[in-house]
Amino acid sequence: MTHQSTAVRLLAAAALVAVAACSDGTRSTGPEPTPVLRTAQAPDVGTLARTVPGFGGLFIDNGVPTVYLTDVTKRGAAERALGAFAQSRGFAPGDIRVLQGRYAYGDLDRWSRAVTFEAFDQGGVVFVDLDEAANRVLVGVERGASHANVRSLAARLGVPAEAVVVRETDPIVYATTLQDQVRPVVAGVQIHFGNFLCSIGFNAVSGGQNSFVTASHCTNTQGGVEGTQYFQSLSSQPNSFIGTEVADPVYVRGGKGSACPKSRRCRFSDASRAAYAAGVPFTLGGIAQTSGPNNGSLTITGSFSVTSEGNAVVGDVVNKVGRTTGWTQGVVTNTCVNTGVSGSNIVQLCQTFVNAGVGGGDSGSDVFGLTGGNSVRLLGILWGGNGAGTQFVYSPITNVEQELGPLTTF
Amino acid sequence: MALCTWGGVALCGVALCGAALLVPRTVTAAPQPPDTLRVTVTVSDSVRRGETVLVTLRLTNTSDKRVTLYLTGRTITFDVVVAGSDGQVVWRRLDHVTTQQIVHVKALAPGETLELRDRWRAAAPPGTYTVTGVIPTDREPLRTAPAHLRVAP
Repeated sequence: MTHQSTAVRLLAAAALVAVAACSDGTRSTGPEPTPVLRTAQAPDVGTLARTVPGFGGLFIDNGVPTVYLTDVTKRGAAERALGAFAQSRGFAPGDIRVLQGRYAYGDLDRWSRAVTFEAFDQGGVVFVDLDEAANRVLVGVERGASHANVRSLAARLGVPAEAVVVRETDPIVYATTLQDQVRPVVAGVQIHFGNFLCSIGFNAVSGGQNSFVTASHCTNTQGGVEGTQYFQSLSSQPNSFIGTEVADPVYVRGGKGSACPKSRRCRFSDASRAAYAAGVPFTLGGIAQTSGPNNGSLTITGSFSVTSEGNAVVGDVVNKVGRTTGWTQGVVTNTCVNTGVSGSNIVQLCQTFVNAGVGGGDSGSDVFGLTGGNSVRLLGILWGGNGAGTQFVYSPITNVEQELGPLTTF
Repeated sequence: MALCTWGGVALCGVALCGAALLVPRTVTAAPQPPDTLRVTVTVSDSVRRGETVLVTLRLTNTSDKRVTLYLTGRTITFDVVVAGSDGQVVWRRLDHVTTQQIVHVKALAPGETLELRDRWRAAAPPGTYTVTGVIPTDREPLRTAPAHLRVAP
């Protein structure tokens, strides 16, 4: 909490109310107008720290005004300072809950400032907060970051060890979408080549080569390797080149004795592999996660982690994350379907149909099943959909690896 | 089959069958977002039952600035919806087909037109039909206002 800015906002609001009350000289005979502010504001913490001996913090605990005092016998001062505030919330001054505090607010404020000044020089520190609901200085660090570094810093600054709480937390990042530049590169984000946009299906290692897999039609020529160069998320961005197409088997013509229909060209997967350029960071097994399935959000809020591979059967609920329609989820309706591709002579053999949302740009997306927590089972590569955008088609992972060779995907 | 022209000059694709095509009529769509585009569909006024109708969608940049479009499909995907006077759809071009879900980034210079064509065999009973064009994008699709087509016995 930033105390100074809060106090300024409260004063400004109070001033607006006062002006509104005084500036209109007319009288109304109608009902009383609804007050703009119905709740009396708490005094700013600076005032509380000066007027309430041993004040250590104010917060609302399940609706009840609650205050830390280092000397709980001083509750009378707290009731006087906060009585109006408590009454505006339906509590008598005597109902204010007083907790035994260990540290005075002034000390916590000083320690918090001191820690803030130096802590961010250490790796992994996410935030520093004077936690008024805990009567402590709270330091958030990224998972795996050193707690000991923060504690030794606090000791060097003369902050009592018990006054500092170190808690692991997720890093705070700018709201990044599936269409933005994302590093390390994860599945589900936008890739750009030529005049086209697709999505990354999954990261993989093949014969020691760091790679990502996307759709075969997300290459300069569908079927056959022509060294398509990929950018994430757009070639116009700096440092956006991420890799080059290295595997994309040709489509074979149908004929007698072939699974491929006559006068058609076939494969069992619409999948290709690109080798990452040197130095491009990526997360093996990582799939971008948005806030929920079928809600249209493209904002990345976390990540899924591939922990297995498998195949789906009719009735399974499966998912995909792609740059256009985000995270969608639905039921498998058909498996091993020989599927003609509109506007071409291509037939994709033994594909899977899913009743779930899809849109242009989702080609190449990961398809997966949820297995608990953020763990997922990788199922395949999305490449097609119906005109209404309500059904997607994907190539099963077994077909993908049959054609691209063995892949390490997690 | 889709044919495409740029600025009404270059034509790529297949020759049309010798259907009895009458003078085309253009219906201009209501303003579309973004309002720098005009989307129209053109069909014959009338056709005999069983004959082939040429349907032409035109997407024109009416602004004085280059416009970048995020269309779909390696070959640009578009839909044509033919409906009877009761609203019943008798033909939808993208019905029961699987299209590749790729974004096709296309720039249109000021005044430039993208033209998309297909044919529909008017096997429906005689009557009056509406023909609407739909061009999917990576967001909301671009839609034309309906054109009217009479199928004669």
